[in-house]
Amino acid sequence: MIGPGIKRGTAELAILSVLEEGPLHGYEMARRIEKQTKGALRFTLAALYPMLYRMEQRGWIRGAWETSQSGRRKRCYRLTPAGRKKLSPLRKEWEELFGALKRLTKVAHA
Amino acid sequence: MPDWREIVSKGLSGLKLGADEKEEVHAELAEHLEETYEALLREGMSESAAIRRTLSLAEDWNDLRRKIHWARKGKETMTDRMKQLWLPGILAFALSTGMLVLIQTYGPKLWVASWMGVLPFGKLYIPWLLLLPIVGAMGAYFSRRGVGSRRLMLSSAVFPVLPFLASILLVPVSLMFGDFIGQNVGLMSLVMALLGWVVVPGAALLAGALPVLFFFSRQKDPQQTAF
Repeated sequence: MIGPGIKRGTAELAILSVLEEGPLHGYEMARRIEKQTKGALRFTLAALYPMLYRMEQRGWIRGAWETSQSGRRKRCYRLTPAGRKKLSPLRKEWEELFGALKRLTKVAHA
Repeated sequence: MPDWREIVSKGLSGLKLGADEKEEVHAELAEHLEETYEALLREGMSESAAIRRTLSLAEDWNDLRRKIHWARKGKETMTDRMKQLWLPGILAFALSTGMLVLIQTYGPKLWVASWMGVLPFGKLYIPWLLLLPIVGAMGAYFSRRGVGSRRLMLSSAVFPVLPFLASILLVPVSLMFGDFIGQNVGLMSLVMALLGWVVVPGAALLAGALPVLFFFSRQKDPQQTAF
């Protein structure tokens, strides 16, 4: 199980990554992240929404109210061009970190 | 079915946002809880277990209220750019300006080099220039402490000359639109002003910043570190 510190750090990347696939509302975003990480990343309300609001303030995502086919109003978030631009270096940064950790653990076990 | 809207309103009571904004937050969170609850029921969970599990998403309402307030008001922490550029840059500017004022007031007048005779533009305050590398080094160091990139470290270091550059560049622009700024400002004066207030002090600031940059470049670039 991944600890809370790492989870916080990866949350931005997780959100930007799922939004790259298309617009989503909060619940669907949390569900998709949980499913795609096989339950390793699980969002509480306190972890998800403050982060979404912050990312929206930074201009990485944009939220807008939409009415679904069932008539329910949901706030859907979309990746902005700034968010798309942020995603690539962020992804690279984390890949490098995990690559480095992987190499480190291999050396430790050798 | 529980009234999720009411549960959220009660849990977040005291959230200091405008009425419309608060209403939006309540509606969004209630929608999330409602969807979670319905999904759990569809998975075959009992109603009471689904309610418990759904409510566990909120964990601590006080914590949630505080975090939402900070996030919506943008009061969480200083932004990266603030730590990496503005704060170190303004600090360097304040320090360099303070030193210049002190030197102009109490400094050794004989150390003032001047071009163009009476024109004030071409003056070089030698003691000030000798102190500027320390200011440049500080600007670069504080930018680095805010995990600034090399570019931001250099920008913070030369920040003190930027207001001078801006004011010198404004002179020709203002001459185009009116004659209220000194009629005797010639091209040579502007060049001298650029040299005396921007180029030479900028070089002195960079002279202090470059060793700091070199020292830290031997370590890993902060942009490559995720921690």
